[in-house]
Amino acid sequence: MRTLFGAVGLAFAWASSAAAQTPTPAAHTSLSGASATFDGAGKPGEWTSQARDYANTRYSPLNQINAGNVATLKIAWSFSDGTQFGHEGAPLVVGDTMYLVTPYPNIAYALDLTKPSPSIKWSFQPNPSPTAIGKACCDAVLRGWAYADGKLIYNLLDAHTVAVDAQTGKEVWRTKMDDVDKGVTMTMSAFAADGKVFVGNSGGEMGVNGWLAALDIGTGKELWRAHAVGPDKDVLIGEGFNPFYPWMKGKDLGVTTWPADMWHTGAGASWGFISYDPDQKLVFYGTSNPGPRVPAQRPGDNLWTSAMFARDTATGQAKWAYQFTPHDEWDYDGINEAVLLDMPIDGKVRKTLVHFDRNTYAYTIDRTNGEVLVAKNFAYQNWSTGFDMKTGRPIVDPAQEPKPGVKLDRVCPPDIGQKDWEPPAFSPNTGLLYVGIFNICMGLTDHEASYIPGTPYDGMEMERSSVDGKDGNWGGFIAWDPAHGKKIWEIPEKFMVMSGAIATAGDLVFYGTTDGWFRAADAWTGKILWSQKLGSGIIGQPITYTGPDGRQYVAVAAGVGGAAMVQKSRAGFPPRGNTLYVFSLNGDAIQSPESPPRGASAPAAATPQ
Amino acid sequence: MKLAKSILGGILVAAIAAGVAGWIVSSRHAYSQLKGGEYEATSASLPLGDVAGQSAAILSAETANPEASDPNAVAEGHKLFISMNCAGCHGYDAKGNMGPNLTDTYWRYGGTPAQIYQSIASGRPKGMPSWGKKLPARSIWQLTAYLQSLGGSFPAKDYQAAMQGDLGDKGQGKGASDQQ
Repeated sequence: MRTLFGAVGLAFAWASSAAAQTPTPAAHTSLSGASATFDGAGKPGEWTSQARDYANTRYSPLNQINAGNVATLKIAWSFSDGTQFGHEGAPLVVGDTMYLVTPYPNIAYALDLTKPSPSIKWSFQPNPSPTAIGKACCDAVLRGWAYADGKLIYNLLDAHTVAVDAQTGKEVWRTKMDDVDKGVTMTMSAFAADGKVFVGNSGGEMGVNGWLAALDIGTGKELWRAHAVGPDKDVLIGEGFNPFYPWMKGKDLGVTTWPADMWHTGAGASWGFISYDPDQKLVFYGTSNPGPRVPAQRPGDNLWTSAMFARDTATGQAKWAYQFTPHDEWDYDGINEAVLLDMPIDGKVRKTLVHFDRNTYAYTIDRTNGEVLVAKNFAYQNWSTGFDMKTGRPIVDPAQEPKPGVKLDRVCPPDIGQKDWEPPAFSPNTGLLYVGIFNICMGLTDHEASYIPGTPYDGMEMERSSVDGKDGNWGGFIAWDPAHGKKIWEIPEKFMVMSGAIATAGDLVFYGTTDGWFRAADAWTGKILWSQKLGSGIIGQPITYTGPDGRQYVAVAAGVGGAAMVQKSRAGFPPRGNTLYVFSLNGDAIQSPESPPRGASAPAAATPQ
Repeated sequence: MKLAKSILGGILVAAIAAGVAGWIVSSRHAYSQLKGGEYEATSASLPLGDVAGQSAAILSAETANPEASDPNAVAEGHKLFISMNCAGCHGYDAKGNMGPNLTDTYWRYGGTPAQIYQSIASGRPKGMPSWGKKLPARSIWQLTAYLQSLGGSFPAKDYQAAMQGDLGDKGQGKGASDQQ
């Protein structure tokens, strides 16, 4: 169960004999035949958006660091951003500047990479309202930001979106998107494409009304807003809406699949990553759990929560939708990202998206029409006894359906899924996706919840544990073949893996663990080639870039928080504290021409008083 | 129960339709979960939350909890802790989640029973709603009694020591060790 080498005995044999050689990817065959366009990526040495490209591959063409030399990776420099909430975002590298944004209070930094680093060019303090801290369900986090049109654009925890001039660090515009006192926060990374910036809300546990909005990059003016619950006019469902499955067709399903009027507070927030298909001019994103989290209070499918939308970027109109978990009973948000890949399935090349859902199914879906092509479990679950490919619905085990006041001893996965928001990476060489996962369950007791604005509309009392008992592992990192729905290998981890992943042309994959190990593994075999323990747990997203000195660097923020804190009482779980770490071969970096200040070895001030 | 929820939804829609600003909510349903409609008289729509302003009463920090002698106060406070969604932020064990741990003697805004009452009644800047215009004083004292029963508070007589940073000397607010 833990490690499935399956069909790649060939690749495995290769790795054991070639660990010290420079990899030659062309000699090996992609396991899935999947490919991506990499549209929207910056220059090869840059990392200009959270996922690096519109398709959300997190793949870098750099190969200076590879399987043959990654063992010599060392810290080149580090940077403490001074914040304490979990650091979930990736820094961006545009030209010779690195841009870093912190969790609340959402401070932005520009670091000059031409100088011995870190060298701050500017910083920007947006001063969001502290009220937001107590409205954020799962720590005062931020999952990164967007660079476009000479501006850095990001969401503030108090439900505003702000744009900052990348040269000067001055605020260009700020748009109020919602009311934080009603429990709406914003934690997702803004996403820029097609001349617009796309943002959504958080607050699925607070009875919010979920939405995604498009803003004008130049002015911050709202162009359209599409809700996840409510009548078709609010959801932006019209003539062009054509979901694949009949049960998602009909008028105002965002109202009629709810008890009377409960859609108003039905959540469907969108707080994950967005991807973009420039050929179809569609954005793809998921929606959160329904509210309240207690299913007994909301009979019905609760559309369009725990679902994915494909929307026209110009108008926001939905082209199709697909609900992953109808009438979600366990907080299985559908917000996880879609990775846009083309691949042969049953002998025919399909335009697909791949989505690892919190409900533990990995879906490969036709991104032109929402048809499920593959739906297989990527980890252990016990809420569903199977998947009906004809209807596109998972089959629910009635014994795992919660009733208020009755404890369910072991539901797997728990509320946060076997994979939460942490994004996967895709390598066109192997044809595989790489993703951090969990190996956990929950004891669950539902309590009926009342809607009181600005307080949790929640009702789930939970304790989480390993699938494998008291001493079992809580996490892992897997390679997944999306065409065949098959796990190729797994690296078991003692703690949850909630970092993003990246893949490189050096046939390496990088990820971090929530107890602070940053690792490089062989993309073909999953063999760990390098590890370094950092100052806190890692829930950030790694990047790799080329510095002005021509060296390839790898960067990741350590700073545990967010949903990883469900492990806080486990021995070995690290303290909070955010630091960006930057690595290079041998730790080489641009050196300061200056020697240490004169007399620094014995300063008078250091004399005991 | 379903009817109550429909009423709640209806009132909410009406409130939105009327363009009412701020936090207007009926918690009729929440109260109906409590025994015998005890709070019926107070369950009409009233402002609640961060923007509702402070409650009128300002207590001396050394005021004793008037519910302390009621044997039911802790149980009633526990019910309120769940029905008013306190547990959603502070955890079903009150040991903290979105909001802080309420079972220890470390209190940012003071931990005498009256200071705890004040925090509940007035709200606090990091997202704690103000409940003073929504819940009757007795309910807030019952909530306070429940937290006191969990060890969350320090005695009113230690108010001065706490203000001077000397609570640790009283054996409260002392360090907690966790050997792994």
